[in-house]
Amino acid sequence: MRQALFGLIRKEFIQVFRDRNMLRLIFLMPIIQLLLFGYVVNIDVKDIDLDVYDFDRSSESRELVQATSANNYFTPHDTVIALRNLEDNFQNSSSDMAIIIPHDFSEKLMRKESPTIALISDGSNANSTAIGTGYMAQIVQSFTKGYYWVEPPLKIRFDVLYNPEAESVYYMVPGIVATLLTMITVMLTSMAIVREREVGTLEQLLVTPIKGRVLLIGKLIPFAILGLLEIVIALTAGVLWFQVPFVGSPILLFALAGLYLITPLGIGLFFSNVTSTQQQAMFFAWFFSVFAILTSGFFTPISNMPMWMQYITYLNPMRYFMEIVRAIMMKGATLPDLTFQVGVLIFYGISIFSLSALRFSKRTA
Amino acid sequence: MSHAVEINKLSRHFGSFKAVDEISLTVSHGEIFGFLGANGAGKTTAIRMLCGLLLPTGGNGTVAGCDIMKEPEKIKTKIGYMSQKFSLYGELTGRENINFYGSVYGMNKREISSRIDELTEKLQLQDLLHRQSHSLPVGWRQRLALAVALLHQPKIIFLDEPTGGVDPIFRRKFWSTLYDLGEEGITIFVTTHYMDEAEYCGRISIMHQGKIVEMGKPFDLVARHKAENLEQMFIGLINERGSSGA
Amino acid sequence: MRKIKFIATKEFYHILRDPKSLAIAIAMPIMMTFLYGYAINLDIEHVTIGIIDYDKTAESKELTDAFYESSYFSRPEVEVLDSDAEALLRSSHAIGLLYIRPGFSDALLNGRQFELGMTIDGSDNNLSAAVLNYSNGLVFQFMLDHLPHGVEIPKVDIATQNLYNPDLKSSHFFVPGLVALILMMISAMLTSITIAREKETGTMEQLLTAPVSPRQILLGKILPYIFLALLDGFLVLVVAKLFFGIPFAGSQLLLFAFGLIYVATALALGILISSLTKTQQVAMMLAQMTTLLPSVMLSGFIFPIKNMPLLLQLISNIVPARFFVVIIRGITLKGAGLEILAAQGLYLIILMAVLMLVAAKKFSTRIA
Ligand SMILES: Nc1ncnc2c1ncn2[C@@H]1O[C@H](COP(=O)(O)OP(=O)(O)OP(=O)(O)O)[C@@H](O)[C@H]1O
Ligand SMILES: [Mg+2]
Repeated sequence: MRQALFGLIRKEFIQVFRDRNMLRLIFLMPIIQLLLFGYVVNIDVKDIDLDVYDFDRSSESRELVQATSANNYFTPHDTVIALRNLEDNFQNSSSDMAIIIPHDFSEKLMRKESPTIALISDGSNANSTAIGTGYMAQIVQSFTKGYYWVEPPLKIRFDVLYNPEAESVYYMVPGIVATLLTMITVMLTSMAIVREREVGTLEQLLVTPIKGRVLLIGKLIPFAILGLLEIVIALTAGVLWFQVPFVGSPILLFALAGLYLITPLGIGLFFSNVTSTQQQAMFFAWFFSVFAILTSGFFTPISNMPMWMQYITYLNPMRYFMEIVRAIMMKGATLPDLTFQVGVLIFYGISIFSLSALRFSKRTA
Repeated sequence: MSHAVEINKLSRHFGSFKAVDEISLTVSHGEIFGFLGANGAGKTTAIRMLCGLLLPTGGNGTVAGCDIMKEPEKIKTKIGYMSQKFSLYGELTGRENINFYGSVYGMNKREISSRIDELTEKLQLQDLLHRQSHSLPVGWRQRLALAVALLHQPKIIFLDEPTGGVDPIFRRKFWSTLYDLGEEGITIFVTTHYMDEAEYCGRISIMHQGKIVEMGKPFDLVARHKAENLEQMFIGLINERGSSGA
Repeated sequence: MRKIKFIATKEFYHILRDPKSLAIAIAMPIMMTFLYGYAINLDIEHVTIGIIDYDKTAESKELTDAFYESSYFSRPEVEVLDSDAEALLRSSHAIGLLYIRPGFSDALLNGRQFELGMTIDGSDNNLSAAVLNYSNGLVFQFMLDHLPHGVEIPKVDIATQNLYNPDLKSSHFFVPGLVALILMMISAMLTSITIAREKETGTMEQLLTAPVSPRQILLGKILPYIFLALLDGFLVLVVAKLFFGIPFAGSQLLLFAFGLIYVATALALGILISSLTKTQQVAMMLAQMTTLLPSVMLSGFIFPIKNMPLLLQLISNIVPARFFVVIIRGITLKGAGLEILAAQGLYLIILMAVLMLVAAKKFSTRIA
């Protein structure tokens, strides 16, 4: 029993290390993906392209336009087309918003008569429209302050914890790590058994008295070790390359990663059990990955989703690990802060592995 | 434990298709039993049931004294199996393959290496131990597969077309090895499409469309059907029954 | 022609005989549409905010209600104790904590300066920026509503109008763009895998010894996938219309024409990949790296291209999806016509022509 387990693990490692493509898949892909994702996965709204229709042409209106480019919020463009063709630039996405400053803007401003400007947006990108409108309100408010010298009596003083520099890469790198770990482990294990079945080697293995349980565990452990190696590589790359701060305990993160891995590995094995070709297994793993990534809160908060969708996210094991990685790395969360997530992961790990074990029979019925 | 293999009306259906249809046979200890039949006759399906890889849909029987229906895992400790398709790990060398299967059968390092020494002598494995097995010629691969099947010193071995695609010299050597094994008291259950090989067997059975249609000593069968040789008898028998199964 | 039909029929059977894979090829785009439509929502809603009220007056109560009655914020599920408020943030039970210090209502009613305090979990910088924005707006409005008589604050009014998507639904942005991703997935990935499979199992050799030209083989093999891709694209658009109310403002014929050009581009990519690989696994990996990943990451489908480093922005110019995303959004959401999308269309056609030439060359030299 012990010999069998060690034999299986050794065999699996030999196979992985003799296969160049597999090695590339396991070690190079995650680093490339981490770098690519780290630079790309960024939904910050910046440099909004703003068409300017300034009918006032006064020093005040110019000052307002100037103010929009503060903090890289907007990139104002002087327009050459007529107002009635305003939509053209929206339709081919060369502009996101347009501001119209009426001819009496400076006049009214001087007379403290509350002038009106118009802001027209390409609403198809809901997010940048909402945030851009907010930016504009802020900019106009502080512009106004300069002319009226009025300080609003009620204000909020904000105190931002954990990521005060507002670097989105700090938030994304932990998420990418969770994503990569899930994708790779599900993908590899889903191929594990079906590959042996397709190639024919499973037949010889099943005719030995090895216990089904031992066989599954022997398939699982090598990929668990690879997964843990993966997380170390990805985290090290993230911390060194993107300078992501690591506030909490790496050991706690490592331990919980080990706990989490049981679930994606179990799911992969389950796929491997119910499919008959590698191609099918790849499709299953892929299907799962897409679902897991999109419902994990990876790039948009779960609280934004409709309520029924939020309930669905509870089914997604990656959701909990995503919270764990982010909480430990960014907020220094400790085990008591994470009891709920850890509890659910233990439950999922046990049930999914049992399901795989039950579904796996050494004899075809 | 009277017989090595003893089955009674064993069947396997795939849907409405009867791949194996109520076959009964007994094989004594130390016998070389030839399991003949045209392509698709159901030989592989029958062997897979005997080895505990496939659940029969009907009938009963024992292999090495263990019940086929109830004790498949116990059977597996007592038998060796060479499947029709090469099924060892191509990326692993011969020795790594043997080490792996040794550990799966619960043998420790010392047992495995002394067993490798024995088998190397018996099967001339020396040249293939250090090469990755996907790069081996077919005949060499089959010797390696036989070594794995014999690793844990089983009393019965099931060989499914062990000499398919192998050249005549290798085949001759292979069969002389089987004979030696038979002398040692190992029961050999073997399928083949070569009639010269069938002649080496103590007894043979002929399967056709899931049923066993003939069984006996090779030369008794030739005589009974008044044929010149085994090949003629085989072809005659199959033609007589119609070859819709092929 | 008959030979092509023959190969295409064979390929069709191949697809139909593997119901599990087929189910995924159909179910995947639909699942993705629902996920992108519902799960990827950037509109901030129901962010949990804890409010610690030391003032305990009618006005502070009113401010609390103003927060929770807006759709942006909601109450945390656990009780907020001021002694360990930060633990609430650390365990993600709340994203922000608003402190109303004593003296709030007094200052408000007398028009004196007053500062509320708010601690925000900044780890998700987009979420925290939104919380900051909305809280500011809420408090500003609250202040305006409670100005003492006679006090007035002059300001510049902004009249806003949001075109095409007045309710600002995120799904309008993501769902049409998804078509670009799915067409690429089916056309490039499936074709590259299926050709690799023929090579791996050796059946390609058999086909080539038959009296058909490589070009006919190719055409026969890709026809079913063109069909599957267009079917998937159609399904996504139907779901988009029925479930997400995406307006179909522009010309459907124009969209179909551009869709065909885009599919041809993707197929050329798929053939190119398959001519470079021998096994399914490698084809799959290469296809993911060169088609799927760029179509998600570098197309502007989710992540704005202008946020990327210059190098990636340059690379995005050779990603076909980048242009198709603009085209499909322009046509479905904004009713753009050919004259407006001419630049994108031309670019796509150039990409298609170049890729087709390279693919045809590689395919025939590699095989022959
Ligand atoms: N899993 C299965 N499902 C359906 N039919 C099967 C299955 N396995 C085998 N068969 C069918 O059962 C029949 C017997 O197959 P089997 O492999 O046992 O024949 P065989 O005698 O070993 O032939 P060969 O000499 O070609 O090896 C064949 O017609 C085969 O198609
Ligand atoms: Mg057979």
